[in-house]
Amino acid sequence: MASRKEAPSGKSLDSPVRQIQIEGLVVMKIIKHYQEEGQGSEVVQGVLLGLVVEDRLEITNCFPFPQHTEDDADFDEVQYQMEMMRSLRHVNIDHLHVGWYQSTFYGSFVSRALLDSQFSYQHAIEESVVLIYDPIKTAQGSLCLKAYRLTPKLMEICREKDFSADGLKKASVGYENMFEEVPIVIKNSHLINVLLWELEDKSTAADKHELLNLSSSTHLEKSLQMLMDRVDEMSQDINNCLFFIPLQYIQRRQQENAQRQSRGEPPLPEEDLSKMFKPPQPPPRMDTLLIASQLSTYCQTIKEFTSQNLGKLFMAEALQGTSSYS
Amino acid sequence: MSRFFATGSDSESEESSSADEITPKATGTTFNKPTSGLRNKEAFTPNLILCCPLRFRFEELTNIIKTIRNAMKIRDMSKCLEEFEQLYRAFLKSKTIVDKEGVPQFYIRLLADLEDYLNQLWEDKEGKKKMNKNNAKALSTLRQKIRKYNKDFETEIASYKEVLNSSTNVISLCRCQDEESESDDDEDSEDWGSDSVDSGGESEDNEGAAASLAVVFLKKYKDGRRKRHKKIEQVEEEVDEDGEAEEGGWEKVKGGVPLVKEKPKMFAKGTEINSAVVIKKLTEILQARGKKGTDRAAQIELLHALSGISNENNLGQGILVKIKFNIIASLYDYNTNLAAFMKPEMWKKCLECIDELLDILFENNNIFIGENIAEDSENLAISDQPFRVRGCILTLVERMDEEFTKIMQNTDPHSQEYVDNLKDEGRVCGIIDRLLQYLESKGSTEEVCRIYLRRIMHTYYKFDYKAHRRSLGLQGETKSEQDQEESEGEDSAIIMDRLCKFIYAKDRTDRIRTCAILCHIYHHALHSRWYQARDLMLMSHLQDNIQHADPPVQILYNRTMVQLGICAFRQGMIKDAHNALLDIQSSGRAKELLGQGLLMRNMQERNAEQEKIEKRRQVPFHMHINLELLECVYLVSAMLLEIPYMAAHEFDARRRMISKQFHHQLRVGERQPLLGPPESMREHVVAASKAMKMGDWRTCHSFIINEKMNSKVWDLFPETQCVREMLVRKIQEESLRTYLFTYSSVYDSISMETLSEMFELELPTVHSIISKMIINEELMASLDQPTQTVVMHRTEPTSLQNMALQLAEKLGGLVENNERVFDLKQGVYGGYFNRGQYLAKIQLFEYLESEGAKKSQY
Repeated sequence: MASRKEAPSGKSLDSPVRQIQIEGLVVMKIIKHYQEEGQGSEVVQGVLLGLVVEDRLEITNCFPFPQHTEDDADFDEVQYQMEMMRSLRHVNIDHLHVGWYQSTFYGSFVSRALLDSQFSYQHAIEESVVLIYDPIKTAQGSLCLKAYRLTPKLMEICREKDFSADGLKKASVGYENMFEEVPIVIKNSHLINVLLWELEDKSTAADKHELLNLSSSTHLEKSLQMLMDRVDEMSQDINNCLFFIPLQYIQRRQQENAQRQSRGEPPLPEEDLSKMFKPPQPPPRMDTLLIASQLSTYCQTIKEFTSQNLGKLFMAEALQGTSSYS
Repeated sequence: MSRFFATGSDSESEESSSADEITPKATGTTFNKPTSGLRNKEAFTPNLILCCPLRFRFEELTNIIKTIRNAMKIRDMSKCLEEFEQLYRAFLKSKTIVDKEGVPQFYIRLLADLEDYLNQLWEDKEGKKKMNKNNAKALSTLRQKIRKYNKDFETEIASYKEVLNSSTNVISLCRCQDEESESDDDEDSEDWGSDSVDSGGESEDNEGAAASLAVVFLKKYKDGRRKRHKKIEQVEEEVDEDGEAEEGGWEKVKGGVPLVKEKPKMFAKGTEINSAVVIKKLTEILQARGKKGTDRAAQIELLHALSGISNENNLGQGILVKIKFNIIASLYDYNTNLAAFMKPEMWKKCLECIDELLDILFENNNIFIGENIAEDSENLAISDQPFRVRGCILTLVERMDEEFTKIMQNTDPHSQEYVDNLKDEGRVCGIIDRLLQYLESKGSTEEVCRIYLRRIMHTYYKFDYKAHRRSLGLQGETKSEQDQEESEGEDSAIIMDRLCKFIYAKDRTDRIRTCAILCHIYHHALHSRWYQARDLMLMSHLQDNIQHADPPVQILYNRTMVQLGICAFRQGMIKDAHNALLDIQSSGRAKELLGQGLLMRNMQERNAEQEKIEKRRQVPFHMHINLELLECVYLVSAMLLEIPYMAAHEFDARRRMISKQFHHQLRVGERQPLLGPPESMREHVVAASKAMKMGDWRTCHSFIINEKMNSKVWDLFPETQCVREMLVRKIQEESLRTYLFTYSSVYDSISMETLSEMFELELPTVHSIISKMIINEELMASLDQPTQTVVMHRTEPTSLQNMALQLAEKLGGLVENNERVFDLKQGVYGGYFNRGQYLAKIQLFEYLESEGAKKSQY
């Protein structure tokens, strides 16, 4: 089973991008964007700018999409982006569009909308990535940024828009190999590093380690809640599948065949069901696939979270033990 | 001749079409010998004819009708046939007018008369023999034709006949006065000559006729009726006095009114009336029974006359009994349709007859009756030996009871008529009682069982107020003497017990015993003898095999179960009440299951035939169980069970609903956008449930027991006060439990004294409730005796743990579903996400393990 886990990302051969190098500036800007505009479960998005160097994608700048409001319905996003990029070029900043970023709420980002927009990005600009930023985890003390790309197989399917079960099967796309994660390196220029060193000494901020916070139940509850919702969706989907197949007929035929077998007669041939029933529109599988993928992401995050928490607890116990002994 | 007809018809159509034209004529001369000149003038006023095609057509029709009537009088069948065919064509021609105006009365009248006439002719064998070949042939063809044709006008003819029947009384009253003028009339008619008779009769009709159909019919009927009555009277006279003087008159009438001739004569003149003759006559009458075209009403009358004759001639009780049997039987026969019910006068007659028959049987000990006595071994006449009469009075009484039920089913339950009809129940019961006495001395055990069951059926659903009062020791309070008298009778419980036990011991048919048991249980339950009722129900094992019983028994079973449930509720056995009512209520078809009405939504599923059958199964209104009471009892017991349960299992994913219907009501209540004060019974219960959820028993109490609910539900119980007290107590107890479940997590400890104050319960009760909860592991707490407090343990799972459990549950379901799909269609749909699910599950287990490990850390 372990081998089925997400394909180790660094080794993806057929991808034109094997590594992503992010400027600290970009990270800061994304965090700032969420801090300013995103609240609760609201999601913020923006454009990544940069350039490709060999198999390495360097993201050097970004700018946010304006928060969509109902008032300005005639607001042209494309126009805005072009305008932005032109302005940025004027100040001599990389103006190549290399992807987009999005914040997430408790790790829920795998959705149809994300798939569609990433597909159109990757379709237009082959190297584009989507950066997922998890503000909640970051708030707990560990910066959480992840870069994803659609696998070539999935790209193929999306291009052909064949989301039927057969199509997915032929392309051997499972929920594990829908997205590939690209490793991220955060790199700052030497000047900034120097500045940081300097600042560190001068910093007056207290050494507060959110990282060691022991309370875990709210986060877990929330995650579980979302996980459960997804499971419900999945169940519903499976039910749809159940009703899609002409159940009664198949069962009857199976029983009949069993009887015939017990009597020693040859079983009736498995007739083509589509001949006997008007084939209904088979339910598209893509949504299920996405749900499965999302589920797996949730599980991943929960697992990570719990293992970290366990570690913390052991540590806390050890500390408590020594303090009580002393 | 044609002129005559023209005038006759003219007057008729005018009168029926416009009232204006009548008035001058009505004030004018009599119609028997019309001033034809005056009429002719009117008739030929051209614009009248032109503007009235109706009149023209009807004129044609009436002309033909005249001819037919004449032909009928001279018994010229071929002519009749010919004319009838003509009439048929003429009628078709005037179709458009008929469509507009409705079928003219005179046409219907003719059709009905013609059919009766033909039937009479047909029966008259001797007369038929005398006919010539042509006539006989025409008779049979015409008879068939008219039968076929009349089918189209069935309703109209029926209504015509109905008018005839309903006017019987009126006519018999005025019979005497009419008689003389009638004979004059007849003579007149003869003078008029055969062809003008009818025109005379017709116009005479019109003279009395207002525009109303009923009156026209009635009048016409009178004619025929008068003749018939005359004939009957004649028979009586003949019989009594051997009156010869009448003969001439008799003949005369016969000539003038051929209708009469066709009636079978009772006895030839001068015959010595003895039993043999009467019996012969009786068998003769009976042979006509069941045959097509027999006038059933006439047959009943004939039988009555015969019984009168035999009575007057003192032919002995045997014959009288025999005739009575047959009268009752033919009364039952009167309605060929099984669904139709007896008319009130028929029913009265029937009751009287049965009463008389019982009188005779009681007076004369030497009469043996039975259905097993062969026809030829009957002894009706020889009075030294005991009489032996074939016939089963039990069957008659049973049939009577069924007829009574039918009458009650077919009466509007909210009308005065229903009350009036219901008054007959006393008589029915009286008859059954008398028969019961009779059969107890004479009948076989089987018959006794049957009549006992009848008695039981009339007893089981009645609440015995007298016994109730007596048991309360309030005997002296009865107001009138009559009440006093009544209250001296046996308690219905004792009667039920005696009758049922006899049936249990002696009955050999399963059905009677089953019914008796059910009725017995019902009666017990009705009188709040819960344990007896329950034991009887359990001992009988009826729950196991009731589904094999026929629908009426099943309905009885359902009624019994419901009554049992309500009884349990009154006794405060909420759980039992809920269980008993669950089946009936959860289906949502309580009305249908109890036989108290048909559901509308099934209308399209069943055809007319089924509907008729179902209608016949309905329980009469006075035996109904109040459906609102039933639902309220059910909902309140569901509330008392469900609310604490819900509070106890708030986080349980596996939680099962105790009562779906109750939840449905709750959901409906929640869906309301604006929550006003409760109006209906259901809203009251929902509001009360909400209050109870919060442990607020006072509000709950005020919602369940208030004036509205009292008048709707609680006052319907005989022991209203006890029920209310029980209910309050239950609400207090269950609210306490709910409170503890809901808020125990907030408390570290709580004093029982406080609880007892909050819920106004005594300390021991609170103590016992909490102890019970602790023992059942519903409440994680312990009792601290010295301080009288409940100390909470706080070991309930946290919300996170609850959530993890729920998730595990859901995943289990998911995997199960998935496997089903996988089994069905391997590889096609299962392939990829199957693995995904397993993986998710494994991940979950990994997680849960870590979670468990973490828990152990805490």
